[in-house]
Amino acid sequence: MKVKKDYMLRSVAGYAVVVPVGEGAMNFNGVINLNDSGAFLWKTMENDVTEEQMVAALLDEYDVDEERANADVAAFIKKMREANLIDD
Amino acid sequence: MNSKSQEIFEVSKEKYVISGINVGMILRKGGIIETQAQKYIKDFEGYPQIVIGINDGRLAFENAKTPSLSLLESEYMLTGAKFCEELIAFDGFMLHSSAVVYENKAYLFSAPSGTGKSTHTTIWRRVFGEDKTFILNDDKPVIRIVDGKVLAFGTPWSGKTDHNENVGVPLQGICFVERSETNRIMPMSPKDAIHRLLDQTLRPQNGENMSKLLDLLDKVLSSVKVHTLQCNMEDEAAIVAYNGMNK
Repeated sequence: MKVKKDYMLRSVAGYAVVVPVGEGAMNFNGVINLNDSGAFLWKTMENDVTEEQMVAALLDEYDVDEERANADVAAFIKKMREANLIDD
Repeated sequence: MNSKSQEIFEVSKEKYVISGINVGMILRKGGIIETQAQKYIKDFEGYPQIVIGINDGRLAFENAKTPSLSLLESEYMLTGAKFCEELIAFDGFMLHSSAVVYENKAYLFSAPSGTGKSTHTTIWRRVFGEDKTFILNDDKPVIRIVDGKVLAFGTPWSGKTDHNENVGVPLQGICFVERSETNRIMPMSPKDAIHRLLDQTLRPQNGENMSKLLDLLDKVLSSVKVHTLQCNMEDEAAIVAYNGMNK
């Protein structure tokens, strides 16, 4: 799965923000704020990845145990799906 | 076919300098934009950096989407949108706001239409003196980074009024205005400021320009403070705003 191409992640004034472009902007005209780990997970999803790969990347980057990483990735994906931001 | 499209206009073709950018515009004579842009006419060497002109076919097509507007009103909107779109390549964007200049510093007041942006800058003129202040632009001033400095510029796209001046002035602060019984100014977090700034500018549709706009906002927010201004229509409102943006 990967994040839809019509969204762009940038750091502005130290904050990670996601804005829609192109067709994305037709459906949604807001701004999404991501925290540090959210921005990190978003970036992993800019290329096609599996949930397992995302967990592995999170474990690599952050000092968290596997259980917590699994839960965080699952929660992130759930939110992304609810917001209709993922292409499978 | 819309009967309005049968109207025939004489055309003017002039060189302008707007926000420090050399612009060539082909406009309908006597139109809103042709009239308001008079004081931006200035000769320059070589090719324009931006060319703006809305041909009859495009004007009729776009006007049909908003039939309540006259053709010349549509031309005004479309030329403004075109300028805004091209501006990003020159490190600039337009912010929907009323901009007042005092002591050679520009203060921008932004809000959704009808909140009282222009009312507030009118209070500044009354309080700080008609001779010591002027309206840089009453609707869509440009914010542009020139030689590392954040400047605010007047543009001929100044809304219902022709209050605009063809100068660039250091940008001292931006306020998002809310009506209130009492006057209060508070710093806005950069996180909120990003949302509000993006709400009050024309958002680029293509990714490349959006990317440039976000980079530009990043730079602007690193040197210009953004505030929330809750204010009424009394003189004190201007004084509170001025003090809050000069701390």
